[in-house]
Amino acid sequence: MMDKQLKKKTLFMNPYVAGFGLGLTLLASFLILGAGLGASSGIARIAACTELCIAKAHTLSSEYFGKWGNFPLRYYLVFMLAGTFIGALCSSLMANRVRFQMERGGKSSKTLRAAFALLGGILVGFASRLANGCTSGQALTGSALLLTGSFIFLICIFAGGYLSARLFRRQWND
Amino acid sequence: MIETMFHIDTLDTSAAFLAALLIGLAFGFFLERAGFSSSRKLSGVFYFTDMTVIKVMFTAVMTALLGLTFVVSFGWISMDRIYLMPTVYGAHIVGGLIFGVGFVMGGWCPGTAAAGLACGKIDALIFLIGAVIGSALFNEMFAIVKPLYEAGQQGVVMVYDSLGMSPNAFILLLSVAAIAMFWGCEWIEQKTQNAKIPGNRSVLNVITVLLLVLPACLFIIQDGSAGGSIPVGNSSEAQLLASVEQAEDHIDPETLADQLANGRTDLIVVDVRPANEFTRFHIAGAMNVSLKDIHTALLPYKNKPMIVLYSNGMTHPAQARDSLYRSGFRNVYLLTDGLDGFIRQCLTPLSLRNEPMSTEMAQKIIQWRQFFLAPASSSISIQNESIPLENPLIDPQWLQDHLGQSALKIVDLRPQPEYNTAHLPGSLAVSPENLRTNINGVGSMLQPADMLARHLSLWGIQPTDTVIFIYGDKPHDATLASMALERLGHRRFGILNGGFALWKTQQKPLTTNLPKVSESVYPVSQQADDFTVDYQTILKHMQDKKTIIIDVRPADYYTGVKSDEARAGHIPGALNRPYTEDLVKTDEILQFKPIEELQKAYAQLIPSLETTVIIHCRTGHQASQTFFVLKGLLGYKNILWYDAGWSEWAARPELPTEK
Repeated sequence: MMDKQLKKKTLFMNPYVAGFGLGLTLLASFLILGAGLGASSGIARIAACTELCIAKAHTLSSEYFGKWGNFPLRYYLVFMLAGTFIGALCSSLMANRVRFQMERGGKSSKTLRAAFALLGGILVGFASRLANGCTSGQALTGSALLLTGSFIFLICIFAGGYLSARLFRRQWND
Repeated sequence: MIETMFHIDTLDTSAAFLAALLIGLAFGFFLERAGFSSSRKLSGVFYFTDMTVIKVMFTAVMTALLGLTFVVSFGWISMDRIYLMPTVYGAHIVGGLIFGVGFVMGGWCPGTAAAGLACGKIDALIFLIGAVIGSALFNEMFAIVKPLYEAGQQGVVMVYDSLGMSPNAFILLLSVAAIAMFWGCEWIEQKTQNAKIPGNRSVLNVITVLLLVLPACLFIIQDGSAGGSIPVGNSSEAQLLASVEQAEDHIDPETLADQLANGRTDLIVVDVRPANEFTRFHIAGAMNVSLKDIHTALLPYKNKPMIVLYSNGMTHPAQARDSLYRSGFRNVYLLTDGLDGFIRQCLTPLSLRNEPMSTEMAQKIIQWRQFFLAPASSSISIQNESIPLENPLIDPQWLQDHLGQSALKIVDLRPQPEYNTAHLPGSLAVSPENLRTNINGVGSMLQPADMLARHLSLWGIQPTDTVIFIYGDKPHDATLASMALERLGHRRFGILNGGFALWKTQQKPLTTNLPKVSESVYPVSQQADDFTVDYQTILKHMQDKKTIIIDVRPADYYTGVKSDEARAGHIPGALNRPYTEDLVKTDEILQFKPIEELQKAYAQLIPSLETTVIIHCRTGHQASQTFFVLKGLLGYKNILWYDAGWSEWAARPELPTEK
């Protein structure tokens, strides 16, 4: 067990090197696409597509999803999200890290962790639409472009996170 | 110079999808390599047990920022080729706080959850499902959230401008902050875990040196370049500041007054005040655009020689101008001292002025006052007496009585050969088809307000004029033309009931001479059209059941027996009242039926004058006639016009139909 954990750790890239790699990826995105990275847009497009399948007329007439039309998945950030998944899959297969598991603290229940993950997801999904982006599209991309709103968003993420962190500590208790 | 897909507008092509996929591939790879496929590791940053998030994120930001800054300073790309997100204070503050809570609660953010899913993490899958639900929730709650979503819109704002620093100074400051954060993270991790990852420090030492040296290089490059351009982000930013410094971006009131009074038409004057202030008074020829819509509204004029922005004062136009400059507009000017200054400098009567003045200047002021004050306020106008209309359907005698008055404009919609043979004195020949174009893929749509205003200017029509339409054998030609006036908020128009045929039968005056037209500057009003609706609005109305949809096509088309469109039938729930039912033909003269008769007929279809009614036909042409009958003649208050009509509805297979 100890051996395995040690092995895992060594397989993570040095964070500064990984950050440098991410930065170059972002730079490439600026120069080729003329736009930065993004992840939450892809998720929102999937949400729009799901809503279209359930209630077509309602979705098309809604003010926000409606403007994406009939084929919300035909959007470059949807492809970027798919790429992100595939890229991560390659990396984790190479590092032999693929395990089906619910990540949580040793003493915390699966139900609690699942509930927190779901609720957290809902909040993040909502907030990303409100702020027009997530940690990738606003915080990372916008900060590199020196945009005021993105810096404000970044600061508020950490403010919200640190202020509420204690409430969710239980799920990681060992 | 590098062209980006954003700049040449090819982000929706398969090439862009492939590029995005490949960039995503690298993105996901590095996220996973950094260990971001673990929610535990990600959350660690909030409990000070694992600071990887901050290290990776800020290294990435600094790498991309410095990389881009150098690439721009080498002139390989300019910032207007990159999409810059606008700042919205309310949305960014509240969104950030909620996001932070969701992040620490769920242990993931969208990108990392995708990486976690690839790694087999079940909590990542649950988180992603939650994010899909949260996005849909936002869509469902949009009506409620919208005010917050738009609260404190600033346009594109650069953080160094917000802080009042130079771009280079800010980059240096950010670098120093990043170094401090990196060493702080190392210190925290040492305290909390006693574990040191080998090799970390040597890389950090290199990073520290680079973060000090590279920003310093930016200062040196800047000194070296002769023009002294600021290399941050963008040389265009430097040009902007330089042009601001030299006041190149201003036009003084006298120059503007001169140009407008002398009839210069390629000058776009934009009033950014609220609509009610605009209606009260504006510089003749100005269009009213709200700051929110300014980018889209001005896009058609990007290549015009000059756009002049004004408000009461200077602040709003200046912000709008900077924002437009960043979007690549190089032709935007501010009116020095705003509308207040314009009125003071150009329109104050001579009797109220204390300063000595040359005769030439005095004459100019008299000329300006005539030009700018005459059409706007009827109390000053002398020859341009406006002509009131009691009923929009007029008879030949009334028209004959008013012939020759300068505030009366007659527009003849018959085909050119018929007009050329004989027409009313002073009337202009106009083809109704020239008022339509293709919008969003749908042909035969009424043109947007700015194009229609241009038509009216060429026809010499002013906002105070009374316009009379003459039809040949199609009264709906006249009503379609009247829709153009409705779109511009011009309500003073009428239609000669009986058309040209009745005029001729009554042996009223005719001519073959062309009319004398002096071009006017008709203002663009973007807000007047609150009646044209799209198919999405119809879908929305279909849900509340109270709205009445009237299909005015011939009955055979309504029932689907005949069809020359993609699909046959009609919109579910729509009633049929063919437009021809509102007309009566006696002795080859086509007229509108008496009002009482129309009133009776429509009272059976529509419960009250307040009921919302959507009118449509195939292309919007015939529907314009029913629109005119209901709104203009019968006084129904909420009549909407689905211009795209059955042409569009039938061609969108996802829209419901019935037969």
